[in-house]
This record gives sequence, structure tokens and C-alpha cells, in this order.
Amino acid sequence: MNKVIIRVKDLRKTYKTYKRGESFKDTVKSLFARQSINLDALKGISFEIEKGELLGFLGPNGAGKSTTLKILTGILYPTSGDVYAMGYVPWKDRKRYVTNIGAVFGQKSQLLWDIPPADAFYMNRSIYGIAQKTFKNTLNDMTDLLDVGDHIHRPTRQLSLGERMKCEFIMAMLHRPSIVFLDEPTIGLDILSREKIRQFILEMNKSGVTFILTTHDLSDIEHLAKRVIIVNHGDIVFDNSLDDLRRHTGNIKLIRLSSHDEIGDIQIRGVEVTENLSKYNVEMILDTTQTGLNEFVRQIGIQFRLSDLIIEEPPIEDMIKELYLDREAESKK
Amino acid sequence: MIAENQFIRGVKAHFQAIKAALAGRMAYRGDFLLSTIIMLMAEMFAPAITFLIYSNGASFPGWGIYEVLLIQSIFMMARGIAFPFFFGMVWNTLSRVREGTLDILLIKPLGLVHLIIMTAFDCNDIGKLFGGVLLFAISMKHLPFPGFMQWVQFLLLFILSLVMLFAFALIMSALAIVWVGNSRIFEMFSAVTSFSQYPLSIFSKPIQTFITVIIPLGLLGFFPASVLLGKYSPQITAAIVSSIFFLIASFWFFKKMVRQYTSTGG
Amino acid sequence: MIFLSSMGVIGKKIEFYKTVAFVTYKEWAAYRSHMAVSLFVGPVFFLVQYFIWHAVFTTRGSLGGFTLEQMVTYYGISSVISYLTFDFADWNLQMLIRTGKFATFLLRPVTHVYFALAQKIGHRILSFWMEFIPVYLIFIFAFGIRLVPRFPVWTVISILLSFILAFLVNYCIGISGFWLIRTNGLRQALHLFKDICAGVFIPLTFFPSPIQKILLFMPFQYITFVPTRVFIGSYELGGVSFSIPEIVGIQALMVLAMVLFVTILWKKGIKRFSGVGI
Repeated sequence: MNKVIIRVKDLRKTYKTYKRGESFKDTVKSLFARQSINLDALKGISFEIEKGELLGFLGPNGAGKSTTLKILTGILYPTSGDVYAMGYVPWKDRKRYVTNIGAVFGQKSQLLWDIPPADAFYMNRSIYGIAQKTFKNTLNDMTDLLDVGDHIHRPTRQLSLGERMKCEFIMAMLHRPSIVFLDEPTIGLDILSREKIRQFILEMNKSGVTFILTTHDLSDIEHLAKRVIIVNHGDIVFDNSLDDLRRHTGNIKLIRLSSHDEIGDIQIRGVEVTENLSKYNVEMILDTTQTGLNEFVRQIGIQFRLSDLIIEEPPIEDMIKELYLDREAESKK
Repeated sequence: MIAENQFIRGVKAHFQAIKAALAGRMAYRGDFLLSTIIMLMAEMFAPAITFLIYSNGASFPGWGIYEVLLIQSIFMMARGIAFPFFFGMVWNTLSRVREGTLDILLIKPLGLVHLIIMTAFDCNDIGKLFGGVLLFAISMKHLPFPGFMQWVQFLLLFILSLVMLFAFALIMSALAIVWVGNSRIFEMFSAVTSFSQYPLSIFSKPIQTFITVIIPLGLLGFFPASVLLGKYSPQITAAIVSSIFFLIASFWFFKKMVRQYTSTGG
Repeated sequence: MIFLSSMGVIGKKIEFYKTVAFVTYKEWAAYRSHMAVSLFVGPVFFLVQYFIWHAVFTTRGSLGGFTLEQMVTYYGISSVISYLTFDFADWNLQMLIRTGKFATFLLRPVTHVYFALAQKIGHRILSFWMEFIPVYLIFIFAFGIRLVPRFPVWTVISILLSFILAFLVNYCIGISGFWLIRTNGLRQALHLFKDICAGVFIPLTFFPSPIQKILLFMPFQYITFVPTRVFIGSYELGGVSFSIPEIVGIQALMVLAMVLFVTILWKKGIKRFSGVGI
């Protein structure tokens, strides 16, 4: 049953940029001889995605996430390596390949600003050559699922961000793609729209659509993905289930602390202060294997007159650091 | 799911896109009307100069005022067709590259050139067409009516002038891909094409050769007008051949720049 | 009176101008390849003009009070001067108003007019060696136009006044953004009108004489036509001729009048902006 839908092998991407001087002299010089700099965005990554998976792509900015996504959608040529997606090489068979995929870019709208989404849908219908009946059915299903019935007939510029993003999803999926790429799809959304969109993704995934999701918002991954790939500096640093990721990094917490008094040194084992926001405000990371959360809260309560205490999941950068540390620790054993 | 063939799908999609663009533009009717009039007035620059020259008692040697205005009206008509229907691709590419939304076109199952053109229909410029036709009619009224063969030749040359504008649009779009955010390519275009609006004979020999053989700018106004006026010039064949080469070169350049874009991600 | 009341603190302002101008300079220096387009566009447009007038003047000795040489020189001078005085304050201000970024200026202890003027200074300094100098040299050496002013001091004064005037006129157009939402069409219309009346396309003496008389009383001719004539060394419009010091004096008066006009318009605009809410 489980069929590989995308196979990526040893994918490399090197960008060549040119040094650019500021002064007039540099400008003139650069006309004749330009100094090139090679930037490795992807350093030979390999992975496979099976049909019906819901895969999360995580990584800090500039890690290679969007480069991978662009190559997988056929927008970008890689420097070397192979990609087979549904039997196509994305950048070579672009036109045929893209009829099978959909994409939602949180930052790049496919809708048309001054006209209602419905008209943009019609345009996509003709671009993809969707039969009238199929189109109607799909549109009805999706507007129901996303709860956007009337909004699609209002000009896009009058819609709220949430309504607009729901329409972006419809736009991307009208042609019933087998693979859908989502790039930061919930960025800036309110909780209700976010919830609705997540339900929609899960629903579509159940019906067999493969989703590949890039984000730097952990909560998206937690609610959606079963498998997670983390990239950093152009390499895959983690590729396993979400549960496994939790085992590695569930032990660290991000803590923000505010006190009525000045905060001096914090003498608790496993605490690392990451930022002094002010004399009364500190951000830190706690390793709960060294000091348990209970113990931490108790000690903190003794040391400071708290005005606020926030405990949350750490940002990706800290998780990656933790992953590296874990690996080192394991290899020493 | 994909029942229709590629061509029919393309035509339908194009039609749908034009409809959408019209609907969008009508959201600002007042500004639309004003812009249309301005575009038309800005286009009247060369005819206005011509008019002032002749009304001050001077002339282009060997050319009557209506003959010169005929050249300029043809130039306007060609732009009046090109700008709304395909020239918008330049501005479209420019803003898409700047905003990073050119990628969105790359994930749609039609050719990139087609997609850039169809999402760029701009009805503002239709004023140029009306203005051009009007000026053409006025000039023709004062000139001897051409014979049938002259009309046929004119039509063929006029089509070539659209071909030239299409090639320009491709080259400019290609430039817009690599020269991010530079709207001044339009100024370069107006500068280059300002050669097309006057009788060829006023220019020096090297320039005449340049605008007939190397970049046949004369086709944008002068050559089509000259067949209607019965003033055949020997350079016309060279210009026709050269325009085809120019088109091929522009396609090649566009492809190359797109290839560069897709290998660097902009 | 924004301008007059601040005369006393001008010393402190110089530092402000220097900083803003320098930042703008650096900001735009990244786009210097865009500016370099002028090195192509300017000479090409000029080349066409050159041939037009060479052809036309074979049929007549003088036209609109110009000889061939004066005509070609007119276009040469007016286009190099335009690099020194070019302005986009209107576009900038309208963009700030439309996007709501203008509100941030109300929160800062500077008047936006000064800020915009400082930006223009920075932008024009960049353009001075990117556009003005190269095109100037091309005109002199490639086209052989005599680009030496007859009265250098008056010419510099006149160009400086034109610099300020171009800014003020555009700023007025920009202020209209307080009342109108989508102003692209209107802005283009006003620009076209301004350029025609300033003598950018053709010397004003080509227009019918009643129109020339009206133009005497409008600010536009003082942007291009006047500095170009001062450069050449003689001035006449609508049958009236002035000596060079006289016309530069009148130009200065026009600048003062525009300062007054901008101040009034600005006050009304701000009221409107704050009234509507941010």
C-alpha cells in the first residue's frame, strides 16, 4: 500500500553570488572582474516521502527549507542530485508535473487583490482545464469544509487574513492535486482560522492527499505532522517521527521570568540564561533532566518575588542545539 | 480530469484572465478614466511637436504634415494593440520578481510566457488604440487613398510592427527578471523607439542602417506608413528579415534569463 | 509658518540635513545601476531631438525665436539641468500616506517637509556624479554642445532655486494624497501638465502668445525654462524680456510664494489627516 511518491537523492544546491563593493571604485572594478562567492544552500540531502504522508519540514531561516521546497515544486534547478516526484523530474517536466501538485505560500498570494476569489477560482479552472462539474463539486466541498460560503464573492481586498488564507487553500486544491506543498501556511492567523485550516488539512490528508509542510512554528507540526524532517545549514539533522523528536527535545523548556526586584544570577542547575530583556526580565532555557519543573518552580519562588512566569516550548534554534548535544552525548556513550 | 487539449485550455484561460482583469480595473472607475486619458495625452508628444513645427511654418524636408502624422498614428495604433494585450507582461514580470510571486506562475501548467501575458492584461492603454485610429483617420483624409495592394502590404508590415513590439516585451521582461525592480527599462524602451516616429530620411546614414538592419525600429511606424504613401524605400526587405531574427533572439534571451532565474531562485 | 519660525534654529538643522541626506545617499547607492540607465536614455533622446531639429532647420533659419544651435543647446541644457533638479517628493509622500507610514512622521520631532528635502539633497548628490557629470561630458564631447553658462553665478543661483521649486511643486501634488485615495492617474496628469508648462518638451516660445503670457504667472516655467534661459544668458517670454538678475529675482519671489502656499496646504492636509484618524 505504502508507495513512495517523492524520492530525493543527494540533492545539492550551490548559489553563486558576487561580491559587491560600496564605493565608486568597487563598482568600476566589478564591471571587469567580479569576485564570486559560493553559498551551499543544500549539501546533498536524501529522503523519501510516501503517498498519504503528512510531513513537516522544520528549520531556522536560511537553513535550506525553502530551497528544497522550490526544487520539489519545479521552480528551481538543483546544482546536482535527483528528484523523482510521481515519476517526473520536477524542473524538467514542469508543465506536466505541476498539474499534479498544489501549493500555498503564506507570503505569496495567488488570489487577485481587486476581484473576488470566486473569479480567481474560475481562472484556475481554465488554467488547469477542470471540467465544469468536477469544479463545482470540489468548490462546494471545500467552501463547506472551510466555512467560507459567501466570502468568495467579495473582493479579496475586503477579506480578513483568515478568510483570505482559506481561499488560498481552495485556490491551490481545486484541481485535486496529489501532493500539496504548504509554506508557512498559518503565519499571522487568528486561532479560529488556524484551527479550521488544520482540520481541513487533516481531512484532505485522510482522503489520500500527501502534504509537505514547511514552517518554523512548532505548533503547526505538533497538530499536523507525524513525521518531521529538520534541516540546518543545508543538511538534514533529524528525520523521524514527531514522538521521537519529543524524546530528544521534550526535556527543554523556554522560560520567561519577570520579578519585582532586580534579577541577579540564577543559581539553578540546568538553567542557561539566553537573554536579559531588562533588569527585571530574563529569558532562559531549562534542561528538565537536571532540574525538574516542580523543583525549578519551587526554587524560583523562593529566590524571587515573581510578577510573571511563562513556560513554553523552545524555538527551533534551541531545539537544534539540543539535538546536537544529545547526539554528542549518545556518541560518547 | 484534463479533458481539453492544451491549446483550447490556453485560449480559455486567457479569456478568463482578461475578464478578471477588467473586473478588477472597474473597481476604480474614476481613476481608470483619468489614467486612460493621460496615457493618450502622453502618447501625443510626437504629434504635438510635429504640429507645432508645421504651424510655425517649418517642416521635415520632403514630408507633409499629414504624412508625418500618419507615421506617428501607426506607431500609436501598434502600441495601442500591444500594450493592453501583451506588453503588460513587462510590468507584470517586474512586480512579480520584486514581490517574489513569479514562483506562483511556475507552478501552473501553462507556458511561462503565456502565463505572464495573460495575467497582465491592462485596459488602461486601450486609449492609445482609439487615439491612434483617430489620428490615422484624420491623416488619411488628407492623403490620396491607397490602392488594394498597398493596404495588403501595410497590413503585413503592421503585423510585423506588432511582432517587433512583442520581441521588445520579451527582452524587457527578461531584463526585469535579472535587473530586479528597475522600472526604468520603460524609459529605455521609449528612448529607443523614439526613432520610429519620424521619417527615416532625417537621420544620418549609420543610424538609418541601425534602425533598419540591426534593430528594425523603422517597422514600428515609418515602413508601414511608407507603403501607404507609396514611398517605397529599398531598406524595407532588410528590415523584414531582420525583424524575424530579432524575434528569435528575443525568445532566446528570455529563455536564458528564465533559466538563470530558476537556477538561482531570483 | 513652518519655514520662517525655524530660521533661528537652522544651525541645529544642518546636522539633521547632513545625516538624512547621507542615509538617503547610501540607500540609493544600492540602486545606482538604475540611475546609470540615464547615461543611455538621456543621450538617445537627445540624439533624436538633434536629428529632428537639424532636419527642420534646413527648411527655416529660425523657429520660435531660436536658431538651430540655440535649439539644440536648449535641449542639451534643459536635460542636464533636469538631473540636478529632478524630484519625486509627490510619489514619496503619497506612498507614505497611502500605506499609513506617514503617521510615524507625526510621532517624530521633525516636520516631514524638511525630511523630504534632505532626502532629495542626498538623492541628487548621488545623481550628480552618476548622471549629471557623465551626461554633461557626453553632450560636450560627443555632440559638441557648448555647455558653458554665460553668467555662471546667476546660473547656479537659478538652478538652486529651481531645485527648491521643483520640490515644492511636487510636494503640493503629494499633499493631495490627504484628500484623494487612488491618485496615480491624477499625479501623472499633473506631471504631464507641469512638464509641458515648464518647457521640457518644447521651448515655451513655441506656444501661442496668450498662453505664453499666462505661463509667466505660473510656477512651472521657473522649473525648467527659466534656468535654461539663464544658462543661455537671455530671457524672453510672451513678448516680455527681462535681464538675467531680474528673472532670477522673480524666480526667487515665486519660490517664496510657493513656500507660503505649501505651508497653508500642509496645515489643512494635516488637519484632515488627523481628523480622519490614523
